[in-house]
Amino acid sequence: MSRGRGWIPWVGLVAVVVAVVVWAVWPSGDQTDAERVRNITHQLRCPDCESLSAGDSQTASARAIRRDVTQRVAEGQSAATIKRAYVDRYGESILLEPERDGIGLVVWGLPLLVLVGGGVGLFFAFRRWRNAAPVHATEADEELVREMRRGDGAS
Amino acid sequence: MRASLGVLALALGAVSALLGIVVLLLGLRRKDDRLLRVGLRYAFFVLGASAVAVVAMEWALITHDFSIRYVAENNARSTPLLFTITGLWAALEGSILLWGLILGVYLAWMAIHFRHRAADPMVAWAMVVAFVVTLFFFVLMLGPANPFERLPVTPTDGQGPNPLLQNHPLMAFHPPLLYLGYVGMTVPFSFAIAALITGRLGEGWLTETRRATLVAWGFLSVGIILGAWWSYEVLGWGGYWAWDPVENASLLPWLTATAFIHSVIVQERRGMLRVWNLSLVVATFCLTILGTFLTRSGVLNSVHSFSESPIGGWLLGFLAFVTIGSVILIAWRGDTLRAPGRIDSPVSREAAFLVNNLLFAALAVVVLLGTVYPLLAEALQDRQLSVGEPYFDRMTTPIGVALLFLMAVAPALPWRATSGDVLRRRLVVPAWFGVGVMVVAALFGVREIWTLVTFGLAAFAVGGIVRQVALGFRAQHVAGVSWWEVPWRTVRGSPRLYGGLVVHLGIVAIAVALASASAFTTKDEVRLRKGESTTVAGYTFTYTGREVSSTDQKRTVKAQVRIERGDRDLGTYAPAVSMFPGATSGIGTPSVKTGPLRDIYLTLISAPTDRDRVTIGIAINPMVVWIWIGGGLMAVGTAIALLPKSRRVVVPPAVGRDRPAGDGPPAGDGPEAPDGKDDRDVPVGVRA
Repeated sequence: MSRGRGWIPWVGLVAVVVAVVVWAVWPSGDQTDAERVRNITHQLRCPDCESLSAGDSQTASARAIRRDVTQRVAEGQSAATIKRAYVDRYGESILLEPERDGIGLVVWGLPLLVLVGGGVGLFFAFRRWRNAAPVHATEADEELVREMRRGDGAS
Repeated sequence: MRASLGVLALALGAVSALLGIVVLLLGLRRKDDRLLRVGLRYAFFVLGASAVAVVAMEWALITHDFSIRYVAENNARSTPLLFTITGLWAALEGSILLWGLILGVYLAWMAIHFRHRAADPMVAWAMVVAFVVTLFFFVLMLGPANPFERLPVTPTDGQGPNPLLQNHPLMAFHPPLLYLGYVGMTVPFSFAIAALITGRLGEGWLTETRRATLVAWGFLSVGIILGAWWSYEVLGWGGYWAWDPVENASLLPWLTATAFIHSVIVQERRGMLRVWNLSLVVATFCLTILGTFLTRSGVLNSVHSFSESPIGGWLLGFLAFVTIGSVILIAWRGDTLRAPGRIDSPVSREAAFLVNNLLFAALAVVVLLGTVYPLLAEALQDRQLSVGEPYFDRMTTPIGVALLFLMAVAPALPWRATSGDVLRRRLVVPAWFGVGVMVVAALFGVREIWTLVTFGLAAFAVGGIVRQVALGFRAQHVAGVSWWEVPWRTVRGSPRLYGGLVVHLGIVAIAVALASASAFTTKDEVRLRKGESTTVAGYTFTYTGREVSSTDQKRTVKAQVRIERGDRDLGTYAPAVSMFPGATSGIGTPSVKTGPLRDIYLTLISAPTDRDRVTIGIAINPMVVWIWIGGGLMAVGTAIALLPKSRRVVVPPAVGRDRPAGDGPPAGDGPEAPDGKDDRDVPVGVRA
C-alpha cells in the first residue's frame, strides 16, 4: 500500500459510518403507545421495591402502575403530565432520574466535570511533554540495563 | 461450647494480629531480622484462628445450635444442608467471619511468598498494614458484630435464611468469590502503604503484588458476573443488573482495580504514574470498605440488605482512618513520587492507557455519585430521591462505548509513538470488519444508535484481537515451531498479552449482550386457562397443568408451560412460586430456556387458582447467555495472564519483507518482543 493513498479506505469507512448513524437517528414516525408506556414506566420507581423500575418489577404495585400508565397514554396524556401526577402522589422519590436542578446538578455535572477536566489536563500534559527535552539514556544507564538483563537471564 | 470455641478463636486471631504488629514494629525499630521472621509467622495463627472460628460456626449451623443468635436467625431445622452451609454468608456477622478467613488465607500467602525476604522492611511494613486490617475485622467480630452472640432463651426452631437466599445453588459460589476479590485487594493496598512508608516508591511493590492483584481482580469479576446470574435466576424480574446499591458496591472497586491493572503497565514500562497508581490501589481498597459499609450498615435499603446492625459507625470510622491516613502519606511522599518520565505522543499505547484510566475514573464517579446521591440529598436537603437505571444508563453508555472504541484501537498502538501510516495499516481490516457488521445489523433492522455502534465496535475489537493473535502465531511458526505447538508456545511467550486479549474477548461478549438487551427485549404478561395457548414473538406458550410439591423447607406450586415454535416442541418449562414457613409472600422462581441467541424467561405471576387459571410473565431476552460466557472468558484470560512466562525465548526472523521495523508483531510485555525494539522502553533512571 503506497504511503500517499492510505487514507482512501478511511474516508470510505467514515462515510459509511456517518450514513448508518444518520439513518439510525433519522426520525421514523411517532413512537407507538407501547413504546411510550415502556419509556415512562422505566422512569418510575416501583413503590415497593428499592431499585427496580415499575417497568421491570413484577410486584402488584408495579403492575398496577403499568396498567395505569397504559390507560393514561391511551387517553392522550403527555409523559410530563403522567410523571407529574406520580410525583404528586408518591413524592419526588418515585422518579428514578434525579431532576437537573439544585443539588441534582452535582450528580449530572460532576462526572462531566471529571471527564472534561481530565481531558483538558491530559491535553496540557501532552503539550508539556512534547515541549520538554527528551530524556536520553546515558552510556552508564545502558550498561546498567545490560548488566541487569544478563543477571535476569542467569536466574 | 461451639460459641465459646468460636469466641476463643476470634480472640486468638485478634491477639495474633496484634502480636504480629508489635513484633514486626519492634523488629523494624531494632533492625532485628529474627523478630521480623517471627512476626511474619503470626499470619498462620490468624489463618488457623479464623479457620477454627468458621468451623465452629459451620458446626453450630449444621447441628442447628439455636442458642447462638446468628444460627437462630439464619437457619431452621428444615433448611437443606447446602443452604445450612451457605448460611455462613447469609447475613452480616457470618459474612465478616468468612471475610476474616479469606483475609487469613491472603495473609498466609504473603507470609509464605515472602518468607525469604522477611528482613526486607518493605515486606515487614506490608505485613504490619495487613495485620492492622485483620485486627480491625477481628475486633469488629468480638465487639459489635459478634457472630457467636448467645440468645437468653434457646428457641426450638430458627427462622431460616431469607427465602431468597435458600432458593438457588449459585448462593454457594457468588458471595465467597466476591469476597475473594474484595479481600484480595488488601494485598496490593498493604504493599502500596508499605512503599509509601519506606519511601521505596520504585517498581518493586508493583511486581510483588501484580499477581495478587490480578487474582483478586479475577475473583471480583467472576463474583460480579455470578451475582448477576443469581439475580437473573432467582429474583424473577427478567433482568440481571438493576443498578442496585449492592451491585454498585461490587462494581466500584472493580472499576478502579481495572483502571489500575491497565495503568500499572505504564508504570512498569515507563516508570510514570506512580502517584496515580498508588491512589488507584488505595481507592480500590477504600471502595471495598465503603461497599461493605453501604450494604451492611442498613443506610441503604435494597433487595440485598437483609440485615441492619450498629457496625455502620465502625466501618465508617475505619474508612475515614484509611482514607485520611493514605492521603496524608501520599501528600508526605508526594515529592519523591514524581517520576521523570514523559509520554512522547498522544497516539501511543501509554497515551491510550491514560485515556482508559480517565474513562474508568469517570465511570467510577458516575456509579459512586449515583449510589450515594440519595443519601446526600436526604442528609443535606432532607429530600427523598432515587437514582436508578435511567440515570446510570444515560451516563454509563457513552463512556462504555468510548472504552469499547479504545479497546479496539489501543492494542494495535505501539509504545512511545506511531506514524499514522503504521496505525492505518494495522487497523484498516478490523475497522472495516466492524463497519461491515454495523451495516449488516442495520440491514437487519437495528435502529437503536447505541446498539449499532456497540455492535460495530465489538466487531472492530474482535478483528483487532484476531489479527494480533494471528500475527503472534505466524511469528512462532516462522521461527520453526510446528502448528500444533504454536498456540501454547505463543501464549507462554507473553501470557499477560494473550490473557489480556482473552479478557477483552469476554468484555466484547458482555457488551454485545448488553447492547442487544436494550434493542430486542420483548416482555409480556398473559393469563391462561389450562390447555389454552398464546403466541408471543413467534413462540407459542401452552399452560398444561400445575404441580404442587411440599417439603419441610417450602411448598412449591409449579405451572407447566409448553413452548413451541411452529410445529417444533421446544420443551416444557415450569416457573414456580414457593411459600416458605414464616414468609408473608411467595418467592417466585423463574424458569429459563437458555439459547445462544435468546433466552425465554418465564415467571409465575399469580399461582394457579382452583379454576386453574394462571398469569405468566414471558420475556424474550436476547443474548443473555453471552454475559455468562463473557464472565467465563474473563476468568480464563485472567488465569492465562497468571501463567509464568516461558523462559525459552523465540526470536523469529522478520516476518515478510513488506513489514517495516515499526510494525512488528504485537509487542509483548517483556524483553522477548521479537523485533528487539523494546530496548528503548526500559525506564531510565527511575529505579528506586
